[in-house]
Amino acid sequence: MDQIIHPIALYLGLALVGLGLCVALPRARVSPQIIGGILAAAGLGVVLVLMGLKSKDALPSPYFYVFSLVGLGAALRVVTHPRPVYSAIYFILTILASCGLYLLLSAEFMAFALVIVYAGAILITYLFVIMLATQAPTEDRTEGLKAYDTAAREPLAATVASMALVAVLTGMLFAGSAKLEPRNAGVSADALLLQLPRRVEDGLKDAGLIDRKERVAYADGKPQIDVEGRRAMVTGPDGERWVGFPENLGVQNVEALGFNLLNAHPGSIEIAGVILLMAMLGAVVLSRRQVEIDEEAKARQARHLMESRGAEGGA
Amino acid sequence: MTIASDILQAVLPAMLGAPDAAHAPIQPVGAGAWWIGLIPALPLLSCILCGVCAAIKVKSKLPAWLTVLCLGISFMLTVWMFQQFAGGRSVTVAWEWINLGWTDSQGQRQALVANFGFYVDSLTCLWMLFVTGLATLIALYASEYMSHDVGAGYCRFFAAFGLFVFSMACLVMGDNLILLYLGWEGVGLCSYLLIGYFYKKPSAVAAAKKAFIMNRIGDLGLALGVFLAFVQFGSVEYKVLLDAARPYIEAAQAGHFDEIPFTVQLIPILLMVGAFGKSAQLPLYVWLPDAMEGPTPVSALIHAATMVTAGVYLIARTYPLFLVSEYALPIVAWVGALTALVAATIGMAQFDIKRIMAYSTVSQLGYMFAGLGVLTSTGAAFHVFTHAFFKASLFLACGAVMHGFAGQLDLRKLSGVGFMKGWQVVALAMLVGCLNLAGFPFTAGYFSKDMILAEAFVTPHMAPIGWILLLTAGLTAYYTFRVFFRVFVGPKSFEPGDEVHAHADHAHGDHGHGDHGHDAHGDHAHAADHGHGHAAGHGSGEFHPHAPGWAINFVLAALTVLSIGAAGLYFLGDHGGWVAKMVHESSANLPAVAHDAHGSEGHAHGTFLGMDPHKVMYYVSGIVGAVGIIIAFGLHYLGRKTAATANADKLVPLLGPIPKLAQGKWFVDEIYDFLIVKPLHLVSIVFAYVDKLLVDGLVNTFGWIPRAFGSGLRPLQGGNLHGYAVQMAGGVALLLLIVFLASIAGL
Amino acid sequence: MGADLIVLAQQGFPTPMGGATLAHYLLVSAIMFAIGLIGFLTRRNLIVMFLCTELMFQAGGLALIAFSRFHLEHSGQTFVIFVLTVAAAEAAMALALVVLLFRKRESLDADEWTEMKG
Repeated sequence: MDQIIHPIALYLGLALVGLGLCVALPRARVSPQIIGGILAAAGLGVVLVLMGLKSKDALPSPYFYVFSLVGLGAALRVVTHPRPVYSAIYFILTILASCGLYLLLSAEFMAFALVIVYAGAILITYLFVIMLATQAPTEDRTEGLKAYDTAAREPLAATVASMALVAVLTGMLFAGSAKLEPRNAGVSADALLLQLPRRVEDGLKDAGLIDRKERVAYADGKPQIDVEGRRAMVTGPDGERWVGFPENLGVQNVEALGFNLLNAHPGSIEIAGVILLMAMLGAVVLSRRQVEIDEEAKARQARHLMESRGAEGGA
Repeated sequence: MTIASDILQAVLPAMLGAPDAAHAPIQPVGAGAWWIGLIPALPLLSCILCGVCAAIKVKSKLPAWLTVLCLGISFMLTVWMFQQFAGGRSVTVAWEWINLGWTDSQGQRQALVANFGFYVDSLTCLWMLFVTGLATLIALYASEYMSHDVGAGYCRFFAAFGLFVFSMACLVMGDNLILLYLGWEGVGLCSYLLIGYFYKKPSAVAAAKKAFIMNRIGDLGLALGVFLAFVQFGSVEYKVLLDAARPYIEAAQAGHFDEIPFTVQLIPILLMVGAFGKSAQLPLYVWLPDAMEGPTPVSALIHAATMVTAGVYLIARTYPLFLVSEYALPIVAWVGALTALVAATIGMAQFDIKRIMAYSTVSQLGYMFAGLGVLTSTGAAFHVFTHAFFKASLFLACGAVMHGFAGQLDLRKLSGVGFMKGWQVVALAMLVGCLNLAGFPFTAGYFSKDMILAEAFVTPHMAPIGWILLLTAGLTAYYTFRVFFRVFVGPKSFEPGDEVHAHADHAHGDHGHGDHGHDAHGDHAHAADHGHGHAAGHGSGEFHPHAPGWAINFVLAALTVLSIGAAGLYFLGDHGGWVAKMVHESSANLPAVAHDAHGSEGHAHGTFLGMDPHKVMYYVSGIVGAVGIIIAFGLHYLGRKTAATANADKLVPLLGPIPKLAQGKWFVDEIYDFLIVKPLHLVSIVFAYVDKLLVDGLVNTFGWIPRAFGSGLRPLQGGNLHGYAVQMAGGVALLLLIVFLASIAGL
Repeated sequence: MGADLIVLAQQGFPTPMGGATLAHYLLVSAIMFAIGLIGFLTRRNLIVMFLCTELMFQAGGLALIAFSRFHLEHSGQTFVIFVLTVAAAEAAMALALVVLLFRKRESLDADEWTEMKG
């Protein structure tokens, strides 16, 4: 663990972060929330700087720093802002920052899915419900924050518990891994091309390397695609020949993800569908407004309906 | 030479190896007939049946008739037993009770055998005859006496009565010390139950407790004696013990008491303590006067005739053991004599006639113990026999008075009862009883008392006891006739007692007798209407004394006849009479008769003022008795006009503080209370605090701990979502922390 | 321009894992999770509490994606798809319940509901 960061420094930094968080939580009276935010940022910064110092030659790119700091800052604001609407909006900002981090991690599909589903659907639902559940200000009651929004409950206990959790998690993570080197992308991701001969053909055609009539050759039922050598055996009216891949021919993230999803987890898709159906039904049932009608009124209404129907039938 | 060795030197040659048939060596024990077991079993059966009567809520006199029937059959079986077995000895085993055997550390076989067996010899027969006989008669008396209490109380009384006779039978007829102890405890229990019969009266309850507790003190000595006997001789059965004691008697004869082990000498002393407790000797006598709180039949049976003689029986039965101890018999004699004297002095100053009779019982018991101590077990047994009859008769007469005068027992408030209509039988019974008690010449009491007195002077070193007993005889005559002259003769006058309301409905109206009326009035020699004795004298208000009915009169008459007849037993048979013959053939095998037989040989022989006591004592005791009667006549009859005053009152101021002290029973009870009861009470207060603070505190702490635990944990359940969430998060963090640290430490 | 972008995407844009090690991403994920947990434990507004649970979902998703990239397995991303699905379902249910609760007490305070107090 010493290769990444000294443990004491990590814990001290986390302690500082915790202190900052605790201070930043909303309070009834005048509260030094900004100071809390600064403290938290300082703590986090210390940790990151120290981590960076340890590996001076391989610093993360500035995009990483930007996205993570924005994300964490927005998350902090989600938690500490007195007004619920602002919390939701800051959450959207957090989602966008996460999206950026996903892009850094070559998970483009997930980044888009996150924005569309999470920010676009779930958060909007939250906003609707917030609007629904916030009481409109009346004449004698000026618009003000409710007490339950402004005051935080037991900030110290919560902070201590959470920070202990984080310290343990990070400690475990760091203790478990020696030197963490990412592997290069594209080494084995392209192995999927073996199962996508049409894809190879389309790519080669787009690059203009083969004719429209040429196909990938098969030997023993398997397409002859050499992934490591980045070439494929192509047969055509002119006979077989090896064709090298262009630079941009590779498996994209969406394709790989789709393959994995449908190949390895088909059952989960069905179950996910059922879950969504249940959620929809449940939400509809739960939020039905119960109207209390006493027996007499029910009877009157039934008679009224019968009379109107009879009148209609008679007329 | 010590006192005991002198005594034994005088008598032992006769006891050992004499070819006289009267004191032959102990015959082998044969097996007895099965029906002997019925003698104790029938009273037990009656007890159970009375219990059944109580359960089915019988309201008639059925329990009484059941008891009388069972006891009567028991008595007849006793008579038959006497016919069959007098002269021999046998053991009947009813069932095997305790039979343990083991091998001790030396590899020898030890056994504790204590079967429910009955040892029948002539001493047993003698005792059982008067126990069962008196029990039957007194049960009959009680059927009328207790008749105002029919219902549950009646059944309870007769159940306890039956249980008592069963226990007494076990005591007397048992063939081992453990069965004797069972009977001992049983009679103590029944005494408690019956004294406390009126359990709603606090004084009765206190008296019952006092009796039981004082008996227990004695029982401790008895128990230790039994244990020591077992340890020393390896058995508790009589047939083994009495034979085992023989080897020591020779050593005792020669005066070599140091050859006899201390433990063997200790056994009789411990047994003696038990006898003192049960038979109300100094210092454990204070329960007997208080026991008069019980109904009169109880006093008559238990505290005059049977239970209190259990101590005498014990000593008589284990007489050989007493002979081998250096100090046992002298202690017995001295304690008996002193008890007799002290009780007599107290009796002289009491006003409650039942109390006076109680103290006279204590005094006469002292006589019996003194008799045993001066080696006349014959005299003691004869005195037991005669005393049983006349004392029972005296008590029952007092009871009749109490019954008829609504609980009045104060002799300053009753007078001339003998002249009231319907009371003649009672008066006659009282007269005969008083004559016996005072030792008037030619009554049974005269002969039996005389035997003891003579022996006291004959036995070496026992003369002071004789003088004490003689003085006591005079005092006895005085206070006995004080009662007679005050209550039964003189001007007619009465005041009712406290139980007027209970008897008022009997006294008024001709048809008020629910329970007397059904009996036949015809067979009665006395006044035709015995229903009401209307006093011609000074009645108080509308109270009429209630003369006794047929049952009471019949029993009193029977006892009177028996008391007179008992005198005749003295002349039946050889020197000492029938009773002496019975005693000789038993284990209370005595040196006294042998002594008389060889009286002319050159043994140490006490004298009375230079004369041979056997010849002279008749006259001396007769004179002393007469003197006592004359003094009582002068002080309590002459010139008495009212019930409350007599000539004696003029004498009282002259005697200084003595009458007051005597009336206060020499304040023995108060001394005991101060020395023993109060300290125990303080100790009990201490222990009450210990119980409250320590024991209850400990238990309460056990109760408090879960409660504290619970109230400590309750805030965790605040009902608040956030609280639970924080606890969950904290818990998870803690768990992970532990795992993390463990993994770090493991690495 | 398009080809450059494609090259960049395929070859780990702009550097593998953005130049950061797995540790960096996990640290960020842990801190975001902690912030979400703190928010859940301290805020009393029911809706904001659920929002914070969504934040915790986010953090978990980030960690999953980081691992997926680290091991070059696409299962992690698949899992995040399902996490998103479940989060959506759960948000729907949770909000329906919150609406019901709001109707009962006319307040969004979580402290109103303490009837299970021991």
